[in-house]
Amino acid sequence: MSSTTLPVARRPLALLFSIGRLVMPAIVLFWLAMAFFGHWVAPYDPAGIQDADLFEGISRKFWLGTDYFGRDMLSRILAGARYTVGISLMATSLAVTAGVLLGLAASAIGGFFDTAVSRFLDALISIPSKMFGLVLVAAFGASIPVLVLTLAVIYLPGCYRINRSVAVNVAALDFVAVARARGESTFYIMIREILPNMVGPVLADFGLRFIYVVLLLSSLSFLGLGVQPPEADWGSLVRENMPGLPYGAPAVIMPAIAIASLTIAVNLTIDSAFGRHAREGVR
Amino acid sequence: MNATIGRLLLTRLVAAILTLWFVATVVFVITNLLPGDVAQELLGQSATPEAVAGLRKALGLDLPPWQRYLEWLWNMVRGDAGRSLVNGSPVAGLIGSRLGNSLLLAGITALVAVPLALALGITAAVHRGSVYDRIVGAGTVLAVSVPEFLVASAAVLVFAVQLRWVPALSQLGRLDSVLDVIRTFALPVLTLTFVIVAQMARMTRAALVDVLSSSYIEMARLKGAGQARIVVWHALPNAIGPIANAIAFSLSFLLGGVIIVETIFNYPGIAKLMVDGVSTRDLPLVQACAMLFCGAYLLLVTMADVAAILANPRLRHR
Amino acid sequence: MSVNDKDFPGMLGMPEQDRLMRALRSGASRRDLLGMMSALGIGAAMGGTLIGAAGTALAQTPKKGGKIRVAGFGTSTADTLDPAKQSYSTDYCRCTMFYNGLTELDDRLNPKLALAESIENDKATIWTIKVRKGVQFHNGKELTAEDVVFSLKRHHDPAVGTKAKALADQMTEIVATGTHEVKITLKGPNADFPVVLGTYHFLIAPAGTTDFNKGIGTGPYKCKEFTPGVRSIAVRNENYWRQGGGPYLDEIEFFGIPDVGARVNALLAGDVQLIGNVNPTSAKLILSGKGFNIMETKSGNYTDLVMRLDQAPGNNPDFVLGMKMLMNRDLIRRNIFQGYAEVANDQPVPPMNRYYAADIPQRKYDPDQAKFLLNKAGMIGSTLPVVTSPAATGSVEMGLLLQQAAQQVGLKIDLRQVPADGYWSNYWMKVPVGYGNINPRPSADILFSLFYASNASWNESGWKDPKFDQLLLAARAETDEARRKQMYTDMQVMIHQSSGIGIPVFISGLDAHSEKLKGLRPMGTGSLMGYSFAEHVWLDA
Repeated sequence: MSSTTLPVARRPLALLFSIGRLVMPAIVLFWLAMAFFGHWVAPYDPAGIQDADLFEGISRKFWLGTDYFGRDMLSRILAGARYTVGISLMATSLAVTAGVLLGLAASAIGGFFDTAVSRFLDALISIPSKMFGLVLVAAFGASIPVLVLTLAVIYLPGCYRINRSVAVNVAALDFVAVARARGESTFYIMIREILPNMVGPVLADFGLRFIYVVLLLSSLSFLGLGVQPPEADWGSLVRENMPGLPYGAPAVIMPAIAIASLTIAVNLTIDSAFGRHAREGVR
Repeated sequence: MNATIGRLLLTRLVAAILTLWFVATVVFVITNLLPGDVAQELLGQSATPEAVAGLRKALGLDLPPWQRYLEWLWNMVRGDAGRSLVNGSPVAGLIGSRLGNSLLLAGITALVAVPLALALGITAAVHRGSVYDRIVGAGTVLAVSVPEFLVASAAVLVFAVQLRWVPALSQLGRLDSVLDVIRTFALPVLTLTFVIVAQMARMTRAALVDVLSSSYIEMARLKGAGQARIVVWHALPNAIGPIANAIAFSLSFLLGGVIIVETIFNYPGIAKLMVDGVSTRDLPLVQACAMLFCGAYLLLVTMADVAAILANPRLRHR
Repeated sequence: MSVNDKDFPGMLGMPEQDRLMRALRSGASRRDLLGMMSALGIGAAMGGTLIGAAGTALAQTPKKGGKIRVAGFGTSTADTLDPAKQSYSTDYCRCTMFYNGLTELDDRLNPKLALAESIENDKATIWTIKVRKGVQFHNGKELTAEDVVFSLKRHHDPAVGTKAKALADQMTEIVATGTHEVKITLKGPNADFPVVLGTYHFLIAPAGTTDFNKGIGTGPYKCKEFTPGVRSIAVRNENYWRQGGGPYLDEIEFFGIPDVGARVNALLAGDVQLIGNVNPTSAKLILSGKGFNIMETKSGNYTDLVMRLDQAPGNNPDFVLGMKMLMNRDLIRRNIFQGYAEVANDQPVPPMNRYYAADIPQRKYDPDQAKFLLNKAGMIGSTLPVVTSPAATGSVEMGLLLQQAAQQVGLKIDLRQVPADGYWSNYWMKVPVGYGNINPRPSADILFSLFYASNASWNESGWKDPKFDQLLLAARAETDEARRKQMYTDMQVMIHQSSGIGIPVFISGLDAHSEKLKGLRPMGTGSLMGYSFAEHVWLDA
């Protein structure tokens, strides 16, 4: 395993990545802060139509240009952080927590419980998500909690399946059998024996699922199930400004960069945290 | 071992039938809960109460829901998926004509994306912590985090509108040579590869890294096995469960989840058929599509589970 | 709009001149051009020189042959070749390829004879129609009165699910009185009946047709292939009954691309030669590319603010008038539609209609007066929910502008964007304040009967006025043009003053095409030459 300990000084790229290790969490923290304070920091009213052309370029007045309606893009992105960061984090955490717990339980308990949960969630995943969203909103009305719940339910089955498949592998290892023989409770086995040994895949899955949620949020908003205008999440900002793409308008590129910066930062932060975790040899 | 898999397949088959029935029933209930029915959606701005009532009667929608449900179920048991409420043609025909297209697109994408993802995931795991690993990690995340419609539209703008290398639309019926096939499928396959490669590559890497740091791999290493041999013979089999599941997921997405690609490239696939069905409340069509996607999904995950069991001896005796 | 209006910097600058020159090059008629110029404020003298310069373009004669591919908007399994069931522009485009009507509408929405040889009436109630002789369907069968009776009577069968029930219900008796003569008796007099017969749903198919997917009609093209939700291929009907014009092309492949960006890209990449329904932002892009052109069709299509008069707060006339004054029509026209719209005056008859009442004073954006009225209605300081949806074109953006304007006068608007899916059955006309979108209708009578008569099913704001209903019936029976025009003017004034709908602009239809495709010109009946482009276009290879 020589490749893990690169001589930092001789490799400029490696140096860059070492800095990246610090920068990535900083980006995550920055966007988290914007989720809370974005509305206040925004230089203009995010909904206000400015005295500007549509799809204006970057200027001193409008740092990130204007959108398809003549609104300030920087303000809209800062204000949108609340939805993209907030809702997505909540929904992903909900889906992953539920998915991990069910997956652990299924692998530790096995038998009929495993079969029943697995088959039920298989059925759930087969119901078209658009339909699911429409019916939930028809029943409960469009609101942020309903939105978070919809997103979580849509991604729960996938999350469960991945986590179960990892957990089953771990559960088949000798030390779990030893723990069982010791007479440990199922809950103890789940949390103390299996979970610590599947942190890597679970977090890798969390990072990806976060991206999916960020993107699905914009589809649901587009259908009218999500964030209400004039507010918009980042995916919706990209979508509503798509006509600006042929002009290379910042209005379509900037929110896409915002999404990419957030999702890459989240994933790489997870990767490097887990990387350290793995090196410390937790068992 | 064969007995384990045989038992698994048998229980899965029984479970699949139950799952399919459950899905169709839920779809039936949901569609009935959604506002508006097929008569209203069909008549649109002409939906006067009398016109709606007349059309409902003509389509048999004036019967109570449970009666319609039982009738549908009985027909389904006999292998008849019914007729579309919207245009009166048999659902089986509507789906049949497009299923081939969807399978073709999914197949070509899988041929490109799965080997690519496995190669990226395995090499990243072997060189974990290296610059290469970081680049693969950031690159796959970047690919999946750009909205699909942006990737597709940007690709069309560059390769179809500016360079004119490929057509903007992926229409079938002009596939006379290999070059035609490449030109037709290049952009949709590119877009879909962007979407699915990350999940498979990252899961492959994560699963392998876990296994590579375990004691028995150390053992193999101490015995003097080469790096390639360790990865392929010792590590991969134990990691195949999550990897196969990730692949199964990604492939099942290729059938029903490609609505944006089908829309932007005007590709006559099955995802669009289902979305049409939902918005016109064409119940028999939606039920059949949902069951089809469900069936494909169950098939794929069962294959993944079988692969996991075959690869990991410890699981054979559970 | 006036030339000196400071709100419209450069409206008459290069883009407008460019648009004119493009129209000239693509073979617009002299009348189209003069119309365009007067709309732009260009005098006849200058217009004359412009037209002279492009004389060569006008002199071109249509060529036969060639294949084109056309992308309409919207396509689904509900695509149909059954005239009675048509619901989208895609269907209209296809059906006008394969079928003809008894009459058809010209660019001013006047009825012209088509499959009918003559139409006579007795007190506008009993109509005798002579059917053109020697016309053959695509399957070789000759057109007779029987086919006409079949095609019209189908609309009375509920199982057909016709879109034209409201119009068809006025025909109480439809009988063949000879091999080529049909007598139709109406419930009451209707001087506009020939207009009704010229609408898309009354196209003529052979008697006894059950499978409409073959597209057997008398139209300029024959159906070679049709798959709902995928595409249709039409080939020229060499045996077309109408002489001296189209069809010119060998083959037209027609399909729908629902995504507007994809549609525009397909045109720019050369995959298709003509696309329908372009948005204003893309229009700019298309005009900046070489070899492409935009065709703007002024139309009566409008997205309206609907305030239910039978619910609070719409039951207070001050509120309704105040809201109408909060609509910044110029801003809507410029910002949302980029100039591809005409300012409207809270009544639904568009300027191109011959009954348009031009003398009603234009209602203007007047925040001060609006504030006064809203205050009087007790609305200042309260929160008003307004429902918008992508289903009603531009309503989300109009809602945003309204929200801004309302905020300035102290009314908080809670904008609710709801899914397009189910909008018409679930929200439209049900919420106290929301938006609707009304497609153009071919006559003032049809428009008023469907949307403004007290008992109309789609009386959007629940506006009831017995005087209006009486006038509507009287105008329908009136055959004297001058008196009729006066009645329609009175009705437009009544709607403008007291109905619960605010119509800010009439939205133009925009189509885009390759400059090689000639013969296109705007028609009052709708985009894509009233969806009947197929018969008239030709390729200049």
